Amino acid sequence: MLHISDLVVRYGSAVALDGVSLDVGRGEMVALVGPNGAGKSTLINTISGLLKPASGSVAVEGTVAQVPEGRQMFPDMSVEDNLLLGGWSIRNRQLDEVFDLLPDLAGMRRRKAGRLSGGQQQMVAIGRALMARPDLLAIDELSLGLAPIVVDELAEHLRYLNSERGTAVLLVEQEVTLAFDLCARACVLEAGRVVVTGPSAELAESDAVHKAYFGDLAELAEVEALR
Amino acid sequence: MSEFVTYLVTGIALGSSFALIGSGFVVVHRVTRVVNFAQGSLAVLGAMLSASLLAGRLPHVVGEAVTVLVCGVVGVLVGVIAIGRRGTPPLISLIVTLGVSMLFSAAIIWLWGQDPVSPPGLDGFATVFGAEVERQRLLVLVVTLVAFAALSLFFSRTYVGKALTASASNPYAARLVGIDVRRMGLVAFGLSGILGGLAGVLLAPSNALSFYSDLPMALGGFAAAVFGGLVSPLRTLVGGLGLGVAGQLTAGYLNGSYQTEVALLLMLVIMIARSRSFAHEEAK
Amino acid sequence: MIAHVLSRVMSRPQPRTVLVVLAGVAACVAPLVLPDLTFFMRMVLAAIVVTGLSILMGYSGQASLGQGAFVAAGALTVAVGTTKLELPPLVALLLAPLVAAAFAALVGVPLLRLHGHYLAFGTLALLLMVQAAMGTFDVLGGAFGISGIPPLGVGNRVFVGQLPYVYLALGCLGLVLLLSHRTVHSRFGRGIQALAGSQTAAESAGVPANRSKVTIFALSAGYAGLAGGLSAFFTPYISPDSFPALESFTYVIMAVVGGLGTIWGGVVGAVVVSVLLQVLNTLSSQPGLPPTAAPIMQYATYGVLLILALLFMPRGIVPTVDAGVGRLLERQRVGVAG
Repeated sequence: MLHISDLVVRYGSAVALDGVSLDVGRGEMVALVGPNGAGKSTLINTISGLLKPASGSVAVEGTVAQVPEGRQMFPDMSVEDNLLLGGWSIRNRQLDEVFDLLPDLAGMRRRKAGRLSGGQQQMVAIGRALMARPDLLAIDELSLGLAPIVVDELAEHLRYLNSERGTAVLLVEQEVTLAFDLCARACVLEAGRVVVTGPSAELAESDAVHKAYFGDLAELAEVEALR
Repeated sequence: MSEFVTYLVTGIALGSSFALIGSGFVVVHRVTRVVNFAQGSLAVLGAMLSASLLAGRLPHVVGEAVTVLVCGVVGVLVGVIAIGRRGTPPLISLIVTLGVSMLFSAAIIWLWGQDPVSPPGLDGFATVFGAEVERQRLLVLVVTLVAFAALSLFFSRTYVGKALTASASNPYAARLVGIDVRRMGLVAFGLSGILGGLAGVLLAPSNALSFYSDLPMALGGFAAAVFGGLVSPLRTLVGGLGLGVAGQLTAGYLNGSYQTEVALLLMLVIMIARSRSFAHEEAK
Repeated sequence: MIAHVLSRVMSRPQPRTVLVVLAGVAACVAPLVLPDLTFFMRMVLAAIVVTGLSILMGYSGQASLGQGAFVAAGALTVAVGTTKLELPPLVALLLAPLVAAAFAALVGVPLLRLHGHYLAFGTLALLLMVQAAMGTFDVLGGAFGISGIPPLGVGNRVFVGQLPYVYLALGCLGLVLLLSHRTVHSRFGRGIQALAGSQTAAESAGVPANRSKVTIFALSAGYAGLAGGLSAFFTPYISPDSFPALESFTYVIMAVVGGLGTIWGGVVGAVVVSVLLQVLNTLSSQPGLPPTAAPIMQYATYGVLLILALLFMPRGIVPTVDAGVGRLLERQRVGVAG
């Protein structure tokens, strides 16, 4: 339901995305991995409509909602208000739907979002995105700054969303193991280009991911090992 | 004692206008990071328009209400000029609003002439703590308090108000959920028009305003807003009232019309004091 | 130095140098021909003030809505210095820019740490307070202002009439332009330009942000003080009404129209706006127009100029013309080569 074709996005004179093509089917969970500066956030922001492509296309059949990097709360507002604002662009806002999917949120609805822990804020961010009843959840750095046990719980929620609601997920994630574990398919991005796409299981074994993250260092290590 | 009460009440009435204008600055600045220099002009417009409407055409309350609404619309127009063009840096917008205030002056002279104008207000006196005070001034205080309460409710209870607060506190996240931050900016400008117009409508019956009153009104309002750090409407209210009272007390007891100067001096002092706390934050 | 200029003009006539020389010649000749020297003098003095303001606004991104406060400081130095402190006129004139600069530094150190609008309103507040102080304290003129400022001169040789002051002002303008040119092209100037681009980047490159901003602020105040001192000698009378807020706003308009952050922007802006206003003045005093036509047109022009200039020609006249001429020359050069 998401078709990206030869997408080129520029920041001033620098090219952030250089002809990226990617598809996400209905109900699919796709991971987007790659080193810093590869363009992952740029891609997510373009899909969300925050950035305009210089050329190429982004076609979405349905709604996209973003869970941004760093949670991006409205800190002085309550959890409930944060969630309500997530429904800004739709007509029939229903807090109860989100509370059904993420029951913990109901318990903290009156608390100020700025006072919550990182994991709680991440849940609020997901809930806020869910208010728009999206067909695709675009998540930028799920695990950043969070303890593993918290991340596991969030991952469970995502699996539930995907299996029960059929919400597609595009997950940008530094933690490659988490990404491959959660998503059946993965796409490796490096320097604004897609290096390889395919089933996560295969990519986990291949060199492509290593090369993308460590580049020449990987070859250096091989040379060192030979000495 | 009764003298003191008179100064106090007069000062509170004047300070209420500063507080209302100041809250206009705050609303716009929080959402757009722009300081709207034309804020004072909106107060003058409110005074002039209410004088015209009340001069035998519309009854009280209706006339004032229409005036305030019109000022709100004009406020939105100011916003369109100030922030309508994408990518205008806030300081440029400030100077653009300076230009807008000059257009206001031209329009006001053209439509109403150069003489000070004082619309009819609430007549009569009341006794407060043994002193005779004009009922108009008491009305100003009451209406101001109601306005601030309404403003606070607007921001915390209504959906648009929450969207405005969100745009102010995290414009990136606001955009993410689909809020048009620039349109919110225009709403803020409209709101500041309403607040400014109300200030003029309330003040003018006691203190006549003319086309050049926009400068002292803007400065007094900005001084009140500075007290609130350009973010807190409540502190702006306190600051405005304090400024008004301090000015009246100096005018009454120290002789001479140093009111504006006292307000300006206090404003400079607060800004300088604030700069030190700014430096502390940077040092962390 | 004249030989140097002439040799450059004759070998490779760059349009800019030609323009500058022509302008210089016109400026030297004009006072001899013009009937109204007061208008010319005010224009030259405005150019001095606005040159400083243009650099301040263009390079440190700060706006000063009350630059008149520093003009007043300079004027007061001369007025009080010569009439009450019995200073020799020349000494008073030399002190004027220094006092103004010191005043600015005092206020600037705290205010420049804050966002731009604090300085904008702060300078405006300063102007109004200076006006109030002038009206209140007798030593600063009190209700009647300060009159009887002696003519400028050394010992027994004094200026007679308006002409000498006009040429002195032109000389000061030239000095100010030279100083600005030197400052902008110095290491300090490059640091300031870096600040205008990005404060964090500049600071990490070692540019002392606050100190640089205060220096530029004080420099612009010094220019204003110099103009103030000269004006005190020219109309040998000052009062609080000599420095209205509208005048300070006019400086901003001139700076914006001429081109922020340029050396010649002040001159261009001052000339364009002054001439425009003079034309408007004549137009609005035509018979048949109501007496309010004059202020209406004046305010409307100010407002429209400011808004249009900022929104549609934000770089001002000088950079826009520069860019246009540059493109023209490029095309010529390419045409010749190809």
